[in-house]
Amino acid sequence: MSSVVISGDTSGAITLAAPSVAGTNTITLPASTGTAMVNGPAFSYYSNSGTSVSGGTYTKILFQTQEYDTANAVSSSRFTPLVAGYYQISCAISLSGNSSAGYGIANIYKNGTLYRQGSSYASSANSPNAAISALVYCNGSTDYIEIYAICTNSITTGTGIAATFFSGVLVRGA
Amino acid sequence: MLYNKIMAIYPSLTFEDFITFITLQNDSDGKGDYIAKWEHPTLAKPTTEQLA
Repeated sequence: MSSVVISGDTSGAITLAAPSVAGTNTITLPASTGTAMVNGPAFSYYSNSGTSVSGGTYTKILFQTQEYDTANAVSSSRFTPLVAGYYQISCAISLSGNSSAGYGIANIYKNGTLYRQGSSYASSANSPNAAISALVYCNGSTDYIEIYAICTNSITTGTGIAATFFSGVLVRGA
Repeated sequence: MLYNKIMAIYPSLTFEDFITFITLQNDSDGKGDYIAKWEHPTLAKPTTEQLA
């Protein structure tokens, strides 16, 4: 037998298939209840147009360009995964224009409120980046993630895939 | 700009106050800046008239 087919109660089926190569392999399932993950959502977006950030104001950063979005879970710079679990969220924001020794901070917002805050960064004229990475649980239905920045001075964020990006990946199911 | 208006009312405020006690927010949806949180221990939230 090269495969086992498990039919759903009402529709659909799952096929467990052995590879067409010689040798014996073993998969041991854990003694626990959970959902096995197969290719969980992953995404990467970046800014190709700067976002205007008012001084002292948490401002949502816009990421207009998709590098990849395996689950089409990002819309209007908002990540709303439909798979419950723990997501590693990362971003960097170019603070170009914030050249008067101000501070800039990248922030992860969950459901419209501040969830994780990066360390403050004293900017210079060398266009540094503010960044943050954190593990965020999402319930797979209503939870959503956005990126906000706050700076001492008003700026327009920098652009480009290396400078201002927003990415995430499912690292563990619920 | 809302931040400048608030600083004009309360010049003693610092950037740290806007990180800790006060949240000004802009959702980049065209609706502009607004006060999302005001929990300053001594300074009252400015009125609409003050911010006009």
